[in-house]
Amino acid sequence: MAVYKRTYRAYSGPTTNPLWRFLVLQRYAMKGIFRSRMLFIGYLACFIGPVLAACVLYLNQNAGILAQIGQKPGIISINGTWFMNFLTFQGVLAGLLTAFAGPSLVAPDLTNGALSVYLSRPFSRAEYILGKGSVLGALIGSITLVPALVLFLIQASLMGMSWFEDNIFIAGGSFAVCALMMALFILLGLAMSSWVRWRIVAGALILGVFAAGKAFGAVLNAAMSTDIGHYLDLQHLLGVVATSLFQNPVPDESISALTASLVLVLVCGLLLLLINRKLRVCEAAG
Amino acid sequence: MTAPVIELDNLRVRIGKREILRGLNLELRSSTVGLLGPNGAGKSTLINTLLGFWKPLSGTARVLGFDVRTDTRRIRELIGFMPESDCFIANMSAITFVRMAAELSGLPPDAALERAHESLFYVGLGEARYRKLGAFSLGMKQMAKLAQAIVHGPRLVILDEPTNGLDPEARIRMIRLIQEMRALGTMNILICSHLLRDIEETCEEAVILKAGVVVHHANLEEERASNRRFVEIETEGDDGTFAAAIERLGCACAVTTPGRIKTVLTEGIEIRDIYRLAADRDVQLRRLNYRRDSLEDIFLKAMEK
Repeated sequence: MAVYKRTYRAYSGPTTNPLWRFLVLQRYAMKGIFRSRMLFIGYLACFIGPVLAACVLYLNQNAGILAQIGQKPGIISINGTWFMNFLTFQGVLAGLLTAFAGPSLVAPDLTNGALSVYLSRPFSRAEYILGKGSVLGALIGSITLVPALVLFLIQASLMGMSWFEDNIFIAGGSFAVCALMMALFILLGLAMSSWVRWRIVAGALILGVFAAGKAFGAVLNAAMSTDIGHYLDLQHLLGVVATSLFQNPVPDESISALTASLVLVLVCGLLLLLINRKLRVCEAAG
Repeated sequence: MTAPVIELDNLRVRIGKREILRGLNLELRSSTVGLLGPNGAGKSTLINTLLGFWKPLSGTARVLGFDVRTDTRRIRELIGFMPESDCFIANMSAITFVRMAAELSGLPPDAALERAHESLFYVGLGEARYRKLGAFSLGMKQMAKLAQAIVHGPRLVILDEPTNGLDPEARIRMIRLIQEMRALGTMNILICSHLLRDIEETCEEAVILKAGVVVHHANLEEERASNRRFVEIETEGDDGTFAAAIERLGCACAVTTPGRIKTVLTEGIEIRDIYRLAADRDVQLRRLNYRRDSLEDIFLKAMEK
């Protein structure tokens, strides 16, 4: 029967698993984000780095091609530092992606009072945050964690099992650093999106948190001849954690990796509090 | 006996330092209930408490037999909520919006799409279902909000000011739709409205709140039935003997001013008996009215309490 000829009837069929219902929100939000052609092209451009890096790994072990330029395989040392540099580059792109995609996630729902539609259903605030956060998580993870692990596996397949065993810390480090970076970017994106309704300003603030923290920290360090300004520099804190996890030589560093990790976790907690404070139906409904 | 649709037992809710609901006791069993009260009476707080957005300070609230403290998720599965304020995503089409709402309620994607089409046709937005919500008129937005509230087949639909801002034609359409939903018999409806006429036209039961307490709880059907037994008569002639004759029929009767009689007809006594008595005593009946104690009268009386 044609749908327009049917009358209203109560639904009595099976329902989906509540555990994975947050993915509904992710699916619709993802569609919304990729309606922007510029963002889609930007997202695709984020894969240029990983593709080039994969080429480098291949060429670095290709004796035939290297012989033509008079070099031997292993011209570039592929180690923790190489992977850290790769993740630093991809991390910057992830920050830019967050600044572009993040503001459109929560702000429109708050502006239009759509929270009451979501939360009057069997769908909690935590699931809402998880659903929206998983959008940024999928975007950031696909340009940082996934390429890093794929590159690790490519290098391991080229170098053999002994390299894999000796450098397994790179995979663990990539996972941990990406997880920390994703948590920070996701929460920052959602917090700015929920507190600042104007997309451009919210996007600028996401980047501004890093830039301002760095600048203010540097001023503080210079003015007070101290190192406590580093605690305000999120990029620096991520760098300290990554340096330790990728087993790179530690420069003269006043902050330990553990302290830096704790500060980053604290920042994530504060951002979560900010999000939680704003995502209230009754406030949204006025 | 089935569980009441809504059951409140000494429900108290505090927001900040202010106690908004102050010991509500109610048992609502009708399929359509109207929630009335002036601004700040606690109507929205009560709805938000039933939806689990506010936690009770003390007392209990049960919706379809489930406690709002412990079974919030189950309650939300059984409820459809149409908020008063705008609640849409402007750059989404109506069909996508309603489908997403259905999926969030647990319907599989295919079933959700099918139900979204049906719901939008049901509320009269069939032709506009692929248009962006941002381009909808106020009346269309209200209908889209109703569609998302009923798409998953809830057992209780909460409508917060459903006719707010609608032109007369759209209002009539909304009222008819609510009456149709009531006639379907598959869902209970709780309507919160400032418009007494809306409640009068759609509800069987009305609850009036004032300053966080229930000041009146009326079964509108019973009120209407009792009104039909209360008659006001204007006469010309010997109203004393006429009134005495009415009393002899067993009806309570009072002559308020000369020529004006008020009486309550007992079971088995009809208006034609009054006509007969008047004819027998040569009393002219100039006017005969049933008391029309409208919801507005009930509301105003309740506000005086």
